[in-house]
Amino acid sequence: MDVLEWLGLGFETAFLWHNLAFAFFGVLIGTAVGVLPGIGPVSGVALLIPITTSITSSLSPTEAATSAIIMLAGVYYGAMYGGSTTSILLNTPGEAASVVTTLDGYQMAKKGRAGAALSIAAIGSFVAGIVSLLGLILLARPLSKLAINFGPADYTSLMILGLCAVSGLAGKSMTKALLMMVLGLLVGTIGIDSVSGIARFTFNQPSLYEGIEFLTVAVGLFALGEVFKSIIERDYIHGKAVKVNSILPNRKEFKDSIPAIFRGSFIGFLVGVLPGAGASIAAFFSYSLEKKVSKTPEKFGTGMIQGVAGPESANNAAAGGAMIPLLTLGIPGSGTTAILMGALIMYNVQPGPLLFEKNPEVAWGLIASMFVGNVMLLILNMPLVKVFAKVVETPPKYLLPLIIAISVFGVYAVRLTLFDLMLLIICGILGYIFTRFDFPVAPFVLALVLGTMLEYNMRRALTISNGNYSYFFKEPMSAAFLILAALWIIVPFVLKMKGKKLIVNEEG
Amino acid sequence: MKATTDRGFACVFLVIGLAFIVGSRSYVSTSYGSQVGSNVFPTMLGVLTIILSIKLFIETFRYEKENKAEKVDFDYKKFFIILVATFAYCLLLRPLGYVITTFLFLLIGFQTIQRGKTWISVLIALIISISVYYIFVKLLNGTLPKSPVWLDFLN
Repeated sequence: MDVLEWLGLGFETAFLWHNLAFAFFGVLIGTAVGVLPGIGPVSGVALLIPITTSITSSLSPTEAATSAIIMLAGVYYGAMYGGSTTSILLNTPGEAASVVTTLDGYQMAKKGRAGAALSIAAIGSFVAGIVSLLGLILLARPLSKLAINFGPADYTSLMILGLCAVSGLAGKSMTKALLMMVLGLLVGTIGIDSVSGIARFTFNQPSLYEGIEFLTVAVGLFALGEVFKSIIERDYIHGKAVKVNSILPNRKEFKDSIPAIFRGSFIGFLVGVLPGAGASIAAFFSYSLEKKVSKTPEKFGTGMIQGVAGPESANNAAAGGAMIPLLTLGIPGSGTTAILMGALIMYNVQPGPLLFEKNPEVAWGLIASMFVGNVMLLILNMPLVKVFAKVVETPPKYLLPLIIAISVFGVYAVRLTLFDLMLLIICGILGYIFTRFDFPVAPFVLALVLGTMLEYNMRRALTISNGNYSYFFKEPMSAAFLILAALWIIVPFVLKMKGKKLIVNEEG
Repeated sequence: MKATTDRGFACVFLVIGLAFIVGSRSYVSTSYGSQVGSNVFPTMLGVLTIILSIKLFIETFRYEKENKAEKVDFDYKKFFIILVATFAYCLLLRPLGYVITTFLFLLIGFQTIQRGKTWISVLIALIISISVYYIFVKLLNGTLPKSPVWLDFLN
């Protein structure tokens, strides 16, 4: 079958009424998640996993996995749409990828062009979503065909590359990011070893035999951690939103933003495909590119429409691009995709090259539903811009305790144990402590998701090679991945050293 | 970044790395049909943790002196109340049932974050706790702790 036939199959799955409903609620909740300050895409997706598992419990395993991933992915790219709303109306980004949007978006709002900025952001996000989907369709088959010949050594090295890529770019200190990653892998070894059947680090506690549940950890570290941070740092008191007048952009704004949208989409897609880079870096790149190509770069920061159109397209395209390594190689490139991957594994669906062979309806259903979801978002966002502008004003008083209650509900509904509830609270506290002291939590969660597979493949490879570690360098693909992984760590390190010298030189 | 706290973190992580190495020594070094046993991977990770902790510890000496101007006003009181409430919520969830505990937790939560009209908080907490229970248990056949016998009408 060729790509179009597969895509047709995907649309058949996506147009099932319940999948349409899942996509709709996914993007709706996602937009709300993006709009509400204090809850980002990562915690939004993590919080919704338990709810999707209970809603889909009546479906067959593959159908359930398809519906769940359709909804969760909807939350992910929906949040990218919604994130612009708070940036523009409140000057506070709803999620990290919309930070740059505040620069010109809020200025436009102050000039009374809030509606125009919001609708251009929605249009840009839509175009970017479609561009990245086309890229996904074109790259998915060739990449998974390449990856299908991977042996255990290649996989081990590929996972190491993925982990290094995310850690190399996360947070202020690479040492801290790497520490968090190794710690995540260590926590992943708790439980019964899948190769030998020995219980490791369980201290004879039955609750630990199954290992530390990824879902509990993710909800705790991200969602509860964020709530605790908001409470402790009084993050929830913010100003009044700017009023939205007309939502239609005028001719000049429209003409100015079209090239910016396309540039943003392409940059965003490319950055998104790279593991570790992610939506916020994409948005940042796009903003500086717009500034460079503009004839009036000095006007940026005073309400240029390009400064909204470019970055908003870029962060959406990056979200789409990030699905490529996840679906075709089984390597998530960011915190959110790591959680999506964890969700798929919960349903016994293994992302990676075999996904397109074994569960084509999951992969293509998801791809097709992302088309549908993007159309829904555009339709939702244009007329409902004013409604979402009201959502921005939801009192945090109600929001924060509610997020805690949803976390407890979700973890209990899926795990049914007091142990997991206690673990949830502890992870929440740890999540706050880690972020406060600049220990990034995304590498930890990513490592927890990949840990078991990494160890399994590594031990398989070592069994083939009779315990000879040089095997990882003798296999050409594996060696290439390892070299790339090393570069990913070394290059930023060298750049940092050089950067430091430059600053010293300037001062001197 | 604060040097002293990071030194503390480095020490804690160092101990964790050591603990995992010591802990994995008891697992057999070979398993059936394989050259590498259950101890190899955790030991490797433990060693890596130790190396990285030492690296972090050394790096703290190169931190630039902090400027004390930016002082954040931390609100530990509200956090503490919410934290205790969350613990109580989780512990009482099974004995008292979902509806009552969720209602109480939300009410306390709303009023702690910002004191305001009590009846609105009561109303919102009531609507949320009851509707979540009914939708999840009755419509979706999920499992949540039942209310005690003397409040049987809630089930």
